[in-house]
Amino acid sequence: MNVEISDLTRRFGRTRAVDEVSLQAGAGVFGLLGPNGAGKTTLLRMMATVIPPSSGRLRLLGRDPGSYGPRREIRRRAGYLPQNLGYYPGFTVAEFVEYFALLKDMPPRQVPRAVAAAVEQVGLGDKARARLRTLSGGMLRRAGIAQAIVNQPELLLLDEPTAGLDPEQRVAFRALLRELGERSTVIVSTHLVEDVGAACREVALMDAGKVVFHGTPDELTARGEGTGAAGDAPLERGYSAVLAAARSATAVRS
Amino acid sequence: MTAAATAPVRHLPSRAGGAVTLSAARLLRIELRRSAMPLILPVIAALFWFDSYRFATGTPPYWVLRTFWNMGQGRSFVDFAPFVAGMAAWIGSRDGRRGTADLMAGAVRARWAAQLAAWAAAAIWAAGAYLVFVGVMFAVYAHQGLQGSPPWWWVAVGVATVTAFSAAGFAVGAFFPSRFAAPVAAFGAFLALFVSVGRGFGHNSTWSLILPTNARGNYQLVSGIFYPYLPDLPIARLMFLAGIAAAAVGMLGLPARAGGAWLRGAAAVVTLAGVAAAGTAIGLARTAQLTPHGVVIPALHDAANDRPIAYTPVCAQAAGVPLCLNPAYRRYLTEVAVDLRPVLAEVAGLPGAPTRVAQVAGQYTDGMFEFEAGVAVSITGSPPVLRVPLDSFNTLPSATGGGPKSAGPGSGAQFDQELPLLAVHMFVGAGNGAGTPAQQAVQAAMLQDAGLAFAAQAQALTILGLPQWAPLDDQGLVGGSASAAGPGSPAGPVYAAARRFAALAPATRHAWLAAHLAALRSGQLTLAQLP
Repeated sequence: MNVEISDLTRRFGRTRAVDEVSLQAGAGVFGLLGPNGAGKTTLLRMMATVIPPSSGRLRLLGRDPGSYGPRREIRRRAGYLPQNLGYYPGFTVAEFVEYFALLKDMPPRQVPRAVAAAVEQVGLGDKARARLRTLSGGMLRRAGIAQAIVNQPELLLLDEPTAGLDPEQRVAFRALLRELGERSTVIVSTHLVEDVGAACREVALMDAGKVVFHGTPDELTARGEGTGAAGDAPLERGYSAVLAAARSATAVRS
Repeated sequence: MTAAATAPVRHLPSRAGGAVTLSAARLLRIELRRSAMPLILPVIAALFWFDSYRFATGTPPYWVLRTFWNMGQGRSFVDFAPFVAGMAAWIGSRDGRRGTADLMAGAVRARWAAQLAAWAAAAIWAAGAYLVFVGVMFAVYAHQGLQGSPPWWWVAVGVATVTAFSAAGFAVGAFFPSRFAAPVAAFGAFLALFVSVGRGFGHNSTWSLILPTNARGNYQLVSGIFYPYLPDLPIARLMFLAGIAAAAVGMLGLPARAGGAWLRGAAAVVTLAGVAAAGTAIGLARTAQLTPHGVVIPALHDAANDRPIAYTPVCAQAAGVPLCLNPAYRRYLTEVAVDLRPVLAEVAGLPGAPTRVAQVAGQYTDGMFEFEAGVAVSITGSPPVLRVPLDSFNTLPSATGGGPKSAGPGSGAQFDQELPLLAVHMFVGAGNGAGTPAQQAVQAAMLQDAGLAFAAQAQALTILGLPQWAPLDDQGLVGGSASAAGPGSPAGPVYAAARRFAALAPATRHAWLAAHLAALRSGQLTLAQLP
């Protein structure tokens, strides 16, 4: 298992953004669903070793990110696309990707080829020399994905990767996800349940910092059948049904 | 986006030092290419042109004079530093403003390493621009045939100043990442330089010598002509500025998010080393002494720098008296001869009259342009030699006919008055003071004969700071005690006696001086005893 999480908690003051979450993920695309404020981004930031957990156990790629050496090794082998992608407007696409490739400690002689491949993979080959300030939101998102995959990561963490992409780009991106999932663990946080249905082998649904569902997209779809839950698609109805059930259980407990 | 399989480039960790160096070089290349620092350079270039270069164009054609304003007094530092600090703060605040903190935090390389690359690029642009601007200015000066030698040490101080301000500004931006970081850093830098300049003019405390725009003792007018520029103070300032830069850059690596424990330890060492260097430099400055040829810091001083620069003088004749100057002053040889000719002719054959005129290096006691009046020109030796330190005349006519900043186009005439005035003042034995009324009267009469009218003498005396009751003039010449008495108004008794004496036939006057010169010099004669 590339991702092993047990009883993971992250507090911000009195708020438990992630509350005793336990998950495991191996190779393939893993979808992380949930409404705004469910804790998906906080969980991904912990997996990206950007912030440490408050408690619980986290092992990534067989290593404990709590120690300096293993954490560096995890970072070397991981890719991360934050929800709010920061970028330097004066950089070109290629420079932006190269910059983070170098910060990921890639062997410098491999960097130019890896950068070209990553930029090509996200369909920005013809924009490689364009300044980031001249790109549309969708193109920027793709540049962000390129920096995340430039090191051919074994663990790829994507926070809302399809935000801002047009339908054609989203279809292409799902194909890319499936390809990446064949050799890596890809964890995708998203609101868009159709992305999960199309690309994910497993899915976890988070609400209020907890995982309220963990299974396959088909199992999530099945949860919505016959419940009359809101949603235009079967997966959406499953999503709504699980959330509704979790919230009513929480209300009963409190 | 394409799902087409691309050959995997999965890599192995790079551990070799060569790979680290190459990575750092590539990061630096990207940062150099995209640094925002060049955006501010046109503004600095314009400021440099008007404030540093053009401001000094009217000064006489000597390296030490032409570069005093822009390097010795640090105008070129002031032109650069606030803008560099502001732009560096803008660059330093980049991660905070652009929201790249998560990306940086998740990278293998320490955030400090990325920050160092960004700062280094900014510093290279700023210091490089400084070198280019100063290089162009020096090339123009060299083309103009300036005499003496360029103040290379001060160029190094300038580079260090720009670098230190870029580091300090970058640190401000990194620690307080907002859009206000840049203006705050720029204003802070301007304030620091303003205080530094102010301390240079108003304070005698030796520690403040370490401040880069403190002009006290920076330059002596003999530097690069009679004696080498003393490197003591520049070395101390380089230590101080390098220390500031190291401390600022080191501080960036101290926060937990900057990197691992080892790296933060290294950052702490860099910071402490920087603070230690800056503190040591301040300590060294406190031991500084102003000597006749510049500021000496005993721990840094090399006695070899006290040796005068060898030269072969250029000579002419003035009223039959040989007159020799340092070859750097060749352009003034004829003018000096013309100015001294009437005085030398007047005193020829008298006891103690100069048999030779020689240029000597000025003796400085209190920093740039400041010397003890009366020590400037002397008549000493046997046979007597009139020793003239021309470098102490900050009214040397310039290449363009004007003088420095405040002297204006009249400075050529002023120069013509000063030489005979000082020579006569020494000849009558007035020394450093006003002289006795009889000495003042004889001096006035001799100056009248030399072409300096009675009515113009009071102003000429005041400008020179002679005698010592003269007030401080606008060029920094030192006035003296208010208790000393001067010759008074041109209508007073001193000038009345002077008019009587001047009205005598030259032969009569000469004969009287031959008979009474010793008494006049010793101060034993009164006004009534003058013919």
